[in-house]
Amino acid sequence: MDKLRQMAEWLPPLIDASKITLSLAVISVVIGLVLGVFIALGRISKAKLLSKLCGIYIFIFRGTPLLMQLFFVYYALPLAIPAFTINNRFLAACIAFSLNSAAYQAEIIRAAIQSIDSGQMEAAKALGLTYGQAMRLIIIPQSIKRLIPPVGNEFIMVLKDTSLVSTIALVDLMKRTSQIQSSASTALVYVPAACIYLLFTAAFTYLFNYLEKRYSIYE
Amino acid sequence: MSFIKTADICKDFGPLKVLQNVSISVEQGEVVCIIGPSGAGKSTFLRALNHLEKITSGQIYIEDKLLDDRKNGTNHSPLTKKEKNEILLEMGMVFQRFNLFPHKTVLENVMLAPVQVRKIPKEKAKEKAKAMIDMVGLSDKIDAYPSKLSGGQQQRVAIARALAMEPKIMLFDEPTSALDPELVGEVLSVIKRLAADGMTMLIVTHEIGFAKDVADKIVFMYDGIILEEGPPAALFTQPKHERTRAFLQAVL
Repeated sequence: MDKLRQMAEWLPPLIDASKITLSLAVISVVIGLVLGVFIALGRISKAKLLSKLCGIYIFIFRGTPLLMQLFFVYYALPLAIPAFTINNRFLAACIAFSLNSAAYQAEIIRAAIQSIDSGQMEAAKALGLTYGQAMRLIIIPQSIKRLIPPVGNEFIMVLKDTSLVSTIALVDLMKRTSQIQSSASTALVYVPAACIYLLFTAAFTYLFNYLEKRYSIYE
Repeated sequence: MSFIKTADICKDFGPLKVLQNVSISVEQGEVVCIIGPSGAGKSTFLRALNHLEKITSGQIYIEDKLLDDRKNGTNHSPLTKKEKNEILLEMGMVFQRFNLFPHKTVLENVMLAPVQVRKIPKEKAKEKAKAMIDMVGLSDKIDAYPSKLSGGQQQRVAIARALAMEPKIMLFDEPTSALDPELVGEVLSVIKRLAADGMTMLIVTHEIGFAKDVADKIVFMYDGIILEEGPPAALFTQPKHERTRAFLQAVL
């Protein structure tokens, strides 16, 4: 009973810190999605240079550890270019996570766009739509449904990866947990912390399943 | 003045010569059916007219305007991109696999291009779209999504969608090949009605009986070449070429 009461006492500080976890994940995935659309369109564009540049972007961000990218934005970049000094840890984390997520989501979006039957683009062209109109009105709306499951997956990955920000002393759920662990001298705090992570994961899994259903009306 | 004229169109896919010196002319109001075995280049030719395939060399004239003038793949046509796009709008295309937009209703499918491309006000486009859908006999399906329609109905919507752009020429790429046999008739009767209304049409088809009925001219293609052409009565009864005879014997 004692232990249960103790865990309940930890809940308010843990929930407070999880605001950082949650907002960081949401902001990064949303910005990553928007950037990802442009990188994906650049990647499949016929302009060779643009496509190559987008390919390099994806290669760099998928090819290096996220933790290193976080350190790079927060520690290394200000040393190289003082103008890029970011004192706000949360902002630094947002930048690193958004840029990283953009690379992964660009690949998700590219795959979704390319999975749309080529007849759709041909029909759009035959009707006189420009490439941009065809993408905006025909191809991308159809890819959205196919995007939802992998983007949901990406969101859950990012949500868990945000725990890396504890390394730049940003107090997220993970950092708060280890603070409590050392002050209370017990690892028991990991139980409620893990439960909070699981709760978020479950809630977002449900949300993404719901969205997928909603976008299936025409099938 | 020919409505469509092509001169020596060639199309290579690597070493494969898909079209070799294809030259035809189609007059206003004429219905031309292109027949021939699979792989003869019929569809490629039709798609080349509409710029869905780039030709390697040759000339394409639409209403005497030089849309394409290619040598080794480069276009020497004097027209600007805008002028070319306007000419391309005069051709409506119907595909073998319909290619309706699955996330749009029947009405939205038909309205989309007039609103987006021709910039016609929505209300007016809607009226026009309804008239087109009515013409193909699908007024009761106006708010349905394509997945709820049979293949024949989908193809009729695709025809209405192309017609809503008010093209002067309709290109049909095997419009009934993906349909169950019992659904072929409803699509062909819509095309026949267009023919009766004087629409200029170029139809790639395997429906020999239909071609006989509707065509003013039959073009027989084999191995990327036009082997022979002529009015259906002549071509079907007295084919000049051995290969035409063999093909007709096999399909009739």
